[in-house]
Amino acid sequence: MGILLQTIVAGLLKGGLYALIGIGMTLIMGVMGIINLAHGQMMMVAMYIAYVLNTMGVDPYFSLLVAMPTLFLLGVLIQKYLLNPLIKVDTILPENQVLMTVGIGMVLTEVIRFIFKSDYKYVTTSYSSATFFLGGISFNVPLTIAFFIALAFTAAMFWFLIKTDLGRSIRATAQDKDAATLMGINTGRITVVTMGLGAALVAAAGCLLAPVYYIFPDLGGPFTAKAFVITILGGLGSTVGAILGGITLGMAESLGATYLGMEYEDIVGLAIFVAVLLFLPGGFKRLTKV
Amino acid sequence: MRAYPKGLLTVAVLLLAVVLCGGVMAAENVKVGIVLPLTGAQAKFGEIEKRSFEMAAEEINAAGGIKGSKLELLFEDDTGKPDVGRAATEKLISRDKVTVLTGGYSSAVTQAATAVAQQFKVPFLVTTGSADEITEKGYDYIFRINPTSSEYFDPFETLIQKAGGIKTMALLYENTQFGQSSAKDVEGAAKSAGIQVVVKEGYQAGAIDFKPILSKVKGAKPDIIYMVSYVMDAALLMAQCKELDINPKMFAGGGAGFTLPEFQQKAAAAADLVYSATLWSEDVPYKGAKEYFNKFKKKYNSETEYHGAEAYGSMYVVADALKRAKSFSPNDIRDALAATDMMTAFGPVKFISYGKKKQQNKLPNTFVVQWQNGKMETVWPEAFAKKKYIFPTPAWKDRK
Repeated sequence: MGILLQTIVAGLLKGGLYALIGIGMTLIMGVMGIINLAHGQMMMVAMYIAYVLNTMGVDPYFSLLVAMPTLFLLGVLIQKYLLNPLIKVDTILPENQVLMTVGIGMVLTEVIRFIFKSDYKYVTTSYSSATFFLGGISFNVPLTIAFFIALAFTAAMFWFLIKTDLGRSIRATAQDKDAATLMGINTGRITVVTMGLGAALVAAAGCLLAPVYYIFPDLGGPFTAKAFVITILGGLGSTVGAILGGITLGMAESLGATYLGMEYEDIVGLAIFVAVLLFLPGGFKRLTKV
Repeated sequence: MRAYPKGLLTVAVLLLAVVLCGGVMAAENVKVGIVLPLTGAQAKFGEIEKRSFEMAAEEINAAGGIKGSKLELLFEDDTGKPDVGRAATEKLISRDKVTVLTGGYSSAVTQAATAVAQQFKVPFLVTTGSADEITEKGYDYIFRINPTSSEYFDPFETLIQKAGGIKTMALLYENTQFGQSSAKDVEGAAKSAGIQVVVKEGYQAGAIDFKPILSKVKGAKPDIIYMVSYVMDAALLMAQCKELDINPKMFAGGGAGFTLPEFQQKAAAAADLVYSATLWSEDVPYKGAKEYFNKFKKKYNSETEYHGAEAYGSMYVVADALKRAKSFSPNDIRDALAATDMMTAFGPVKFISYGKKKQQNKLPNTFVVQWQNGKMETVWPEAFAKKKYIFPTPAWKDRK
């Protein structure tokens, strides 16, 4: 029983972080209709920002305030100068924007490698491995904080999309770009803002992950893959779906690790991915409708 | 229309000139192909080895090179993936026409790369890739300086006997070829030493959260936790053992990650009193070992460890074989390598066949180190020990 509870807690905490990683990608997917394959790499850049600030004595949670605007700006620039121009260009491949994100991901990785070398970096905090116990179940402090901050960001995002004008414009663009344009929405600007938001959200995830994990230039790839799985699980473009998707993935990995063996962690996640594609195409969005 | 062919001709002449110059230069240098993970999750190890190779080559070239010609190192990045390693080796052999190959970090990549070298009959001195299988295939162009991973556990056996009181073991390993191969051997060795393996779990490298398997380990209350992990997984494993308050008599690492300074820096207090198998430390009584350590530190302003020493040693072994070879033909180099019997900073090198293994180096000693107050100290075998080992490991709450 103790082991089961511990597993569920571990899965839930990790799932919260996954949700935050996935939500930015799902937002971009919904509005632009493209998978941002540089998503994990953007998170990596944010983690390096947290690292650099940490060497100056800034707590990784405060570095959120720097990393999120910086990544927002990076997202805006990428969308404005690298992705949007591609829409106007005729190519033999319709997915050239996606291919561009792959390239951007590589450039980010190599630029970071050029600056910081391949060394493993880490953010040291007094609470990196702090824990508290609740009925014999251990809770890792940074992961718990990350979980609640992730929830807060997701709720804020939800409110933003439902209640504000800009949020409504984003949703309108996601639903029907042409119609939105006809209604007077500057969809070009909306795509730029969305990319910025997506990048800022994954930057938050990076800063929250930094105290418990380590940082190296190539860590983007696996997290891009995780974000992709979450996006598909949750349903393209669905924020609530991304939360469910993230927690499902976290739980599945944890339960799989305990009861099947940790070497099957990735297999469990991907098996669920395939099952959702087969039996629930459209993901959890089909159930939640938002 | 007329200008075009003229321009083309100029280009052709220029190209020809470049090719000719290149050709002349190639004749002067001896090309050594080196396959290493320079990017990817194992890039840290690749970097230490690359620097050591370069340092050794500079020294050899400064001392007159090989029969008047200089060593030219051609590095290829295997990114830690077997398919890339395979392609990189093919490129080195067929396009760069290297005389001899060395390097090879992860076991899976090395296995793929050595198969290519054997197929093309180009001698390959494996620097690290330590899974037993690599020298068990009967390949006659493949040599290995690194002892097989099954021997990493040897010094622990005697240490455990001496320390006493160890009856049960939890065995955690990353599910790569190196991890699986080591785990299998350690399990066998533990059984024959009368230690019961109560938990044996593989994990996916790069995990954030090891608590699922560590909860199991905690439930089983083993006397020793033996982990086969790369550096950052190792650090997270130890940090989370501390979090979950797991208290065996001994935490032991099976080489690879537990000896790197980064392990200690990331795991911090959780790294203290952790044991690790190692093949080399700067205190080993081999000629040149300490000098290599100091030179590396001075040149790159960072620390080196056994992987670097292996690379440094490999370069000298290759140079020695090239000097002795009758010609630079693959066959003559192979014969020269097979006849190697020399001392390097990494230890004595001689390629012997024993058991199923062929052309495998065997070190007289492998060592156990223990992190004590943030410093890695050689503690076993007793004859080489700088500090007394601390056993049993006190419970986390009783420390400090």
